[in-house]
Amino acid sequence: MSEQALEIKRASASMWGTKTGLRKTPTVAKYIDTTTCIGCKACEAACQEWNDLKTVNTQQVGSYQTLPELDAEFWNLIRFKERTTDSGDLMWLMRKDQCMHCAEPGCLAACPAPGAIVQFANGIVDVDPTKCIGCGYCSTGCPFDVPKFHKQTGKMAKCTLCVDRVQVGLEPACIKACPTGCLQFGEKEQMVELGNSRVAQLKNLGFKEAMLYDPAGVHGTSVVTVLGHGHPEWYELPVDPHVPWGVRLWKQIVRPIGVIAAFATVLGFFVHYGKYGPKEPPGGVDGRAE
Amino acid sequence: MSTFEGVEHPVAVARDRDNVVVGNEIVRHRLATRVIHWSVALTFFLSLVSGMPLWTPLFGWMAYLVGGLEVARVIHPYAGVAFFIVSAVQFFHWLPDMHFHEDQKGWLSGKALRYMRWEHVEESGKYNGGQILFFWAVCLGAVGFLLSGIPMWFPLRFPVLLREICILIHDITFICFLVGVAAHIYLGTAAEPGTYRAMTRGTVSRRWAKFHHPSWYREATGEETRK
Repeated sequence: MSEQALEIKRASASMWGTKTGLRKTPTVAKYIDTTTCIGCKACEAACQEWNDLKTVNTQQVGSYQTLPELDAEFWNLIRFKERTTDSGDLMWLMRKDQCMHCAEPGCLAACPAPGAIVQFANGIVDVDPTKCIGCGYCSTGCPFDVPKFHKQTGKMAKCTLCVDRVQVGLEPACIKACPTGCLQFGEKEQMVELGNSRVAQLKNLGFKEAMLYDPAGVHGTSVVTVLGHGHPEWYELPVDPHVPWGVRLWKQIVRPIGVIAAFATVLGFFVHYGKYGPKEPPGGVDGRAE
Repeated sequence: MSTFEGVEHPVAVARDRDNVVVGNEIVRHRLATRVIHWSVALTFFLSLVSGMPLWTPLFGWMAYLVGGLEVARVIHPYAGVAFFIVSAVQFFHWLPDMHFHEDQKGWLSGKALRYMRWEHVEESGKYNGGQILFFWAVCLGAVGFLLSGIPMWFPLRFPVLLREICILIHDITFICFLVGVAAHIYLGTAAEPGTYRAMTRGTVSRRWAKFHHPSWYREATGEETRK
């Protein structure tokens, strides 16, 4: 890997990463407060600039949203949603969408290419395009529909949590650009603490359903999001994301059975040959027929 | 059936005629049958070496046989489609011989195990019940591979749930196939001497035919055997 300063905790289709455990690496996280986001899209621009992604043609989808979905060349998207409250008022919800950097990444679980998807010791989940084979399994494994495919390169691309900046002690580009402070970056523990205090504050202000989105189904994410109105689905977030059952059944049960069956079959025929020997007529098959 | 003892060479006869006695040999598979069989085998082998490294890194070394994992990922679906096409040809080519007879039932409920203990399970015609069962399993498997493979080939055009189900179907079909093909290769080579040449030279010896497929032997030779 190019990121030599960072140890790899887990790698796709590999037994283990390169983590020695000798050095303490704190888990990092991004903090997103949807209640103080003003939808300026500075983070979108900063992401495109830092990651050298070309400008994409925007699409008019009836809102301020730049694109309907994330793209292989657009890794950071503010989702704009309008909702009517029970009292008839309008809610204008904005949420920064990007890779959630799950502690239990479904993309990594589903990926068949050794080392193509890695989870660094600090929790960042990244893709190594030199090892990606473009099969699309990561997209099947991701509960957030984040991995996108680049038509020209045939490789998956997504937010790297600016691992290249983080490993030299800088904050991710989106955080750097945010003018309201609704984006923060630091150790996961601190970000969760910050999120919890903000949620408590919001509840005092009358946002009874305010919550911190750090889904347990994927063992938490390195993106913690304060949802002012609760209800993750209002923000186009899955309520209980987890690695899909099909992927787990496939990788953890069916495939091991298959591998054992493969070796057992070959071994079994050797044992069979030893026990029963060849089946042929007395005197062999080539003698003259009587 | 007519014999051509001393007149024609068995290999020459085996080009276009089946079930014919030539001297001490009987033609079991004419050339067309053998070409179709080996086309299926070749495309299966290509699918195997390009698919197994994607299946588990334990067989990642197989990817080097086709030039790396990226190449494996690219050629696997094409090899798979080729496998399906030749399997379809094979299906229609072999279908007339592949109907179960009355006494050929029960291979899944015990007969197969008794057969593997080299017990006499039936008075076999050209194909015994196990072979007919294998034929149908291969055809069904080819359909299963194709249908489950398409959403895996173009994952972004299908819903996630369907992709998950297809991956599981593809996997389970493969595991069954692996066991079946291993048995097929074992029985066709080491376990039953004299069989393999039926798929190379096209002929088997009279003694082989009389021993393994007595009913077919009687038909081909017109001889009466006991039982």
